[in-house]
Amino acid sequence: MENSDIILSMTDVNKSFPGVKALTDASIEVRKGTVHAVVGENGAGKSTLMKILSGVHTKDSGTIIFDGETIEHTTPIQSIRRGLSIIYQEFNLVNTLTVGENIFLGRFREMKGLRNSHKKARELLDSIGSTINTHSLVGDLSAAEKQMIEITKALAFDSKLIIMDEPSSSLTADELKQLFVIIDDLRKKGVTMIYISHKLDEIFQLCDTVTVMRDGIIVDTKPIDELTRNDMIAMMIGREIENEWPERPRCAGEVILEVQNLRTKKLKNISFTLKKGEILGFVGLVGAGRTEIVKAIYGADRVKNLKEKDLKQTEHGESNKTKMPDNDIVNTKKAKKLKSGKRMLINGKLVKTRNPRQGIHAGIGLLPEDRKLEGLVLQFSVKENIVMSSLNKISKFGFLDASREKDIADKQIKALSIKTPSPNTKTVTLSGGNQQKCIMGRWLEINPDILILDEPTRGIDVGTKYEIYLLIKKIAENGGSVIMISSELPEVLAMSNRVLTICDGEITGEFDPEVASAHEIMDAAIGGGEND
Amino acid sequence: MIKQETLERKTFYKVGDFVLEYLVIIMILALVIVTAIVEPRFLTAANFRNVMGQFGPLSFTALGMTFIIMGGFIDLSLPGMISLIAMITLSLFDIIGEIPAMMVGMMLGIALGSLNGTILVKFGATTQAKALFITFGLSQLYGALSQLYTGGSPINRGAFEHPAPLTQALSSGTVGDLFPFYSFFNYIPFTFIVFLVFLAILFIFQKKTRLGRSINYTGGNFVAAELGGIPTKRITVMIYAICGLMVAIGAIVAFSRANVAAPVVIGANFERDSIMAVVVGGTSLAGGRGSVLRTVLGVSLIILLSNCMNLMRIDSHLQETFRGAVLVVAIWLDHRRHAKG
Repeated sequence: MENSDIILSMTDVNKSFPGVKALTDASIEVRKGTVHAVVGENGAGKSTLMKILSGVHTKDSGTIIFDGETIEHTTPIQSIRRGLSIIYQEFNLVNTLTVGENIFLGRFREMKGLRNSHKKARELLDSIGSTINTHSLVGDLSAAEKQMIEITKALAFDSKLIIMDEPSSSLTADELKQLFVIIDDLRKKGVTMIYISHKLDEIFQLCDTVTVMRDGIIVDTKPIDELTRNDMIAMMIGREIENEWPERPRCAGEVILEVQNLRTKKLKNISFTLKKGEILGFVGLVGAGRTEIVKAIYGADRVKNLKEKDLKQTEHGESNKTKMPDNDIVNTKKAKKLKSGKRMLINGKLVKTRNPRQGIHAGIGLLPEDRKLEGLVLQFSVKENIVMSSLNKISKFGFLDASREKDIADKQIKALSIKTPSPNTKTVTLSGGNQQKCIMGRWLEINPDILILDEPTRGIDVGTKYEIYLLIKKIAENGGSVIMISSELPEVLAMSNRVLTICDGEITGEFDPEVASAHEIMDAAIGGGEND
Repeated sequence: MIKQETLERKTFYKVGDFVLEYLVIIMILALVIVTAIVEPRFLTAANFRNVMGQFGPLSFTALGMTFIIMGGFIDLSLPGMISLIAMITLSLFDIIGEIPAMMVGMMLGIALGSLNGTILVKFGATTQAKALFITFGLSQLYGALSQLYTGGSPINRGAFEHPAPLTQALSSGTVGDLFPFYSFFNYIPFTFIVFLVFLAILFIFQKKTRLGRSINYTGGNFVAAELGGIPTKRITVMIYAICGLMVAIGAIVAFSRANVAAPVVIGANFERDSIMAVVVGGTSLAGGRGSVLRTVLGVSLIILLSNCMNLMRIDSHLQETFRGAVLVVAIWLDHRRHAKG
């Protein structure tokens, strides 16, 4: 291998944070014009390594040579100017500015004015085959489009190396394809890329070389063809796992939940049933309405609870619909009134959920999509987060019982093997997987009949994922019903007894994942428009 | 070997955290020691009584504000509320008598507080920023109403026909007036005892009850609390109602200590000083964490600071400057503490 072929080489880089050794003698070489994957569980040191490269953190020791230049101390702006850009999972864009302004943010003088900036931005966007108007506001763009703007921004600095941190996490399948085309194109033009992702399929599709990290150590760097999926997982978690998923439980019994005519601005007449002991998977693209359905059921989104009378009227209205022209029905006051509403039966009894409290009362639990924003009070302890929804259990006459509280927390920490120094540790210091377990523990303490899991394994490392699958299985085996939403199709297919596909606010199909193919299900989830 | 290193670092960080956490106590002690050395009059019985007497309206409003800030909100309507409550209560003195009038005042405090909370909930204001603007507007509204009510003229307590013993007690009474057994009692103002009673009740409420804990969750993360089944909206109304009650008591103490109570003027700066006491005490502006005991420390620091500066005859403008500086430093420290996670 010639030396000039290597664009980036890091040798024996070390980095410690208070109390943690984040990187130990990390060495990595990235060849020019390749897509180099970096994989590892959360906390393996991928982000630290990249943040040292981009100048967010300073290394303790070691050498970094980028493009023939030894880098000692650097700042983010210096590394960008040197030709090393990083695109974070959370975009670094100003939503209230236009596309062109964002691409040349802070460089208007350099570009000789805004007009030239827009012109140059147009050229750059064209070069990656994008048709986004440079005058539209970034805030109005989709996640995929924002990502393109980030890539264009990196290109605007003539970047030789672009680091992408989990670029696919918010993209739909189609958008991902588009991203792959762009990445492939850039690779042909000689741009080097470091691609960080949890999704191994993408890495096998896209990357040339893989570096696996674990516990701050670089385990190995290999060309992609020399590795199998199982090798990679084994390297990441440091042991072999036979299966990525446990065998699915089969304990579906009688119908426990019946949702009828759930409709809002976004949802169109959703009706489905859930059986006791069943794991029901919701498959759909981000924004298809999956989260809206479960939030309406739980009571987090306020949707009118229809009465028997209202329902008859809607049914009546619908049967009439066939006879009368559509417009008449839509325009009548009653039809308008009934545009939004829901009717729910749990164990055959009519249930109203106007807020999450009533949802919990009705025997429903929800593990929200975003555990940091919607699930945890990050600054609070593991204990406080676990008991949050069972305050009635730990209080008498309105007064809290500290020992009951501790017992419950200890019980759940043990049951879920939450890795925490003590029940009083703040959850913000825990890893993503353990944070998720805290919320799981909260619900297991209440033990709801119906547990809704919205993206339960998002951003969680492989080892903990398996533990969460086992937990879900156990809940079902103990007679609980689970609704599972996930963007990872293989996961839903492996765990569910039944899968509903949701597209654009409608249920487009019902499948038995043991019989149906992944292709069939995905086809229904994206609307069935594409048949190839 | 690595383990030992981490342990050492941890203890180091714990010392740093400790200083950050209990800086108020350290500052109070430093202030007391320095002033005691520099100014001999500081440690006299007369000054002790003086300092105790300073636990006035601010200490009550600050207790109320603690709950608001802990719940992740803020209340700038204090000046207007104090003004309106004081004017209405005073105007009722000669009509229904002193104690019933005070009762009405307290009810009015709870009602106005609940109104504040309900307006915020109805407006969907779940953030401090929105609460800031809405309550700021409400303060103007209440203040203006109080001026309308009195026609803009001040109320002179000296002109009242009936005697007002409780008002007198709140103004200058001591425990010694009731229990003249120990001379020490003459140094404990009656208001201070009232303050301690409320402090104890609110402390137990906050630390030991389910509702108190619910305030923490609401302030810590409103969305997560709501999804976790905490009645966040009811909690919001409740904390504003508690604050309203404490503000009413603050208003009563405030007019007890002034012979002439003028609308608007009577409530001036209470929002600023209350927030300052709460934040200086170490209750996080970010919400979730805090304690009424911390607020007591904050109030004490403010009282001692002005007492010390008065004793040292520091120019009043300079005193104001100091106060401003203390608030800025307190907010910076709060940020530091919060950033540490």
